[in-house]
Amino acid sequence: MTKAKPPKGLKGWAQGRSLWMLHFCTGCGAIEMPPTMTSRYDMERFGITPMATPRQADLLLITGYLTVKTLKRVIRSYEQMPEPKYVVGFGSCTVNGGMYWDSYNTIKRLDLYLPIDLYIAGCMPRPEAIIDGFTELIEGIKKGKFDGWIRYKENLEYYKRNQAMVMDIRKWSLDAELAERIWNEVQEERRKRFERATVKHVYELAERIPEGLPK
Amino acid sequence: MSLEKEQKVVDLIKVSFEDAEAEIQRERRVKVKVAPNRVFPLVAYLKGNGFKHFVAISAVDWIRDGEIELVYHLWNYDEKVHVMIKTRVPRDGGSMPTLKPLFNQAETYERDIHEFFGVHFEGNEKLDREFILEDWDGPPPMRKDFDTRLFSAEFYDQEDLESEALRLKIQPYKGHLKK
Amino acid sequence: MNGKNEIIREFEYFIGPQHPGITGNFSIKLKAKGDVILEAEARPGYLHRGFEKLMEQRHWIKNVPMVCRICVPDPDPNEVLYAMGVEELAGLEVPERAQWIRVMVLEMSRIQAHLSYLGGISGALGLYTAPQWMTGDRDYLLDRFEELTGARVYHIYTTPGGVRRDLPEGFEDRLRETLDYIEKRLTDYYRLIFDNPVFQKRTIGVGTMDPDWAIENGVTGPNLRACGIKADVRIDDPYLVYDQIEFEVPTETGCDMFSRAMIRFQEIQQSINIVRQVLDRMPKGPFLNKPGNPLMWRVPAGDVYVRVESSKGEFGYYIVSDGGVKPYRVHVRGPSMTHGIHVIETLLVGQRVADVSPIMFSLDICPPDIDR
Repeated sequence: MTKAKPPKGLKGWAQGRSLWMLHFCTGCGAIEMPPTMTSRYDMERFGITPMATPRQADLLLITGYLTVKTLKRVIRSYEQMPEPKYVVGFGSCTVNGGMYWDSYNTIKRLDLYLPIDLYIAGCMPRPEAIIDGFTELIEGIKKGKFDGWIRYKENLEYYKRNQAMVMDIRKWSLDAELAERIWNEVQEERRKRFERATVKHVYELAERIPEGLPK
Repeated sequence: MSLEKEQKVVDLIKVSFEDAEAEIQRERRVKVKVAPNRVFPLVAYLKGNGFKHFVAISAVDWIRDGEIELVYHLWNYDEKVHVMIKTRVPRDGGSMPTLKPLFNQAETYERDIHEFFGVHFEGNEKLDREFILEDWDGPPPMRKDFDTRLFSAEFYDQEDLESEALRLKIQPYKGHLKK
Repeated sequence: MNGKNEIIREFEYFIGPQHPGITGNFSIKLKAKGDVILEAEARPGYLHRGFEKLMEQRHWIKNVPMVCRICVPDPDPNEVLYAMGVEELAGLEVPERAQWIRVMVLEMSRIQAHLSYLGGISGALGLYTAPQWMTGDRDYLLDRFEELTGARVYHIYTTPGGVRRDLPEGFEDRLRETLDYIEKRLTDYYRLIFDNPVFQKRTIGVGTMDPDWAIENGVTGPNLRACGIKADVRIDDPYLVYDQIEFEVPTETGCDMFSRAMIRFQEIQQSINIVRQVLDRMPKGPFLNKPGNPLMWRVPAGDVYVRVESSKGEFGYYIVSDGGVKPYRVHVRGPSMTHGIHVIETLLVGQRVADVSPIMFSLDICPPDIDR
């Protein structure tokens, strides 16, 4: 069996010049999308245009932090997209949690759950940064450099296991059998982890001065 | 600065609710402390006296007293006075009657507080439905004895996942960094 | 038609969470018969980050960069509210100049939020020129923000004690130019949107609410003024220097989507006037009263409720301090908490499926402030 490869040459060029972006903007980054799309920055000159349904989109844009509740929908949408498909993480909170590093409801590193092709850093990235990221993406696609969906397919178990650690994957995966099996496998670890995480915390007195500071 | 209208509101409350401790906080702000079972009649009474705008319900977890404080905010559009009605319920098994018959949107705030503080509101039918959190099994997260930093570090633990990713050689594409 | 031969069946529609409009992730579950909605259930929670909890973990000053993230399209009221609440608790004096600058920032923020609102609602109704123009023009205002604060969207400009920096040199003239430009464009916007028969047909008499019902159900801000009720926090519960500024509070009597859009349109003009007055009358002097070492700064115990008029309605913070270096509790009362759950569930009943997104837009629902 030959290993799947991203399109190159003429196919890659055509793919890169016509990216349909799934209009699933999450979090704050979505506020910089309208300026990028409209008259001033005009993303459409690169052939990128929003698309309402995942079944006709090539590009999934994660524009910010993902709560666990949204992650479920994102994964479902991602799996519905036809190949080749690309994921762009957008904003610092997809890189390492950013501002919400200690939040109980957001995931921290997106590339553990979905195969990221490109990150655009910043909180939030400016339209210029977004366009720079997109040109980078287009160049990469033309040369066949981005192979996120192949990585996802080859390491599906790894990704599913990671996803199962934070969410119930059974309802949100296209491959129901695999999801069921992995979900049952991780139950024990998940329970242990949850127990460790929800130890009753003794409320510290607010008067306590933070350690290491001059009195 | 005259505080006449604020004093009027305090008097209005004192006339019918002798057990309520009402005081003026500052211009346009009045604070009232009452027992939990007196909240519903007090809000109904104030609603009849021009406090038509139900602003919000806030909850504060006073863990050292073992109580959760509920603060009902009301605003009067004509007199332009804000009343905060404070009451305390026990942290364990605390329960309040719902204000839905008086103000419909109180239901939303009650669902919110039920989810984040674990206070029960009697008579609120939508309380059992998931509101903001989904599939959440842990303790109510806004309580003081829930440690979000610990939860974040343990539950979204990444170290072993990252080493596994290294073994499988799945790393995000980095080629674009070197031109 | 009798029940047996009826071909129109009941459906369940799930709208969202892929941005129903460009407001934020939010979903509505609809039960509809054919095209007419029988029941609607709002489902928030896609953007919950636990801000109120995170703020308890950080020092008083460290929360300033956090709070503006609560409402993405109109972030400045959050910063000002938090600063006002903390100042009131701590008894911190704010220099006169800083108060005027805050008013200016708030009104600039209102203009840009209303521009993106008008662009959004006309986009939701299929008029695609308006979003292009308005988002483009809004960008010029964002340029001014960038010049003033260093950032386009999240400004982190207002801190307890004043504002972070003074106006840059020549800023006033450039801001005046931008305002003149936007004012000049207002006539075009009027022709483009409100004179458009499609817009009129789709909005007049759609999504109406009764004024008394609106008051009792916690409708605030422009949505309430569209019902003919002259209620504005800037007048009723004055903060900063709004009591020294002359401006009108526009009201409309239609109670429908058209009135709600019209109010926003008129408020742009009022906000432009306010910013001009601020530029004319702003006193010279210091702009920041530093509260001391941010890691050690303690705020005396107490609680306070502060509110401002944001572009979406009444925004309020209830802040409790126990005398420590961190807030004990901050509760955020966003205007969308009522508009986005109870009001929309009621308004959608009896409407058509195609009107869901415009009605959501007309109420200016901002899901991040429901979820926090």
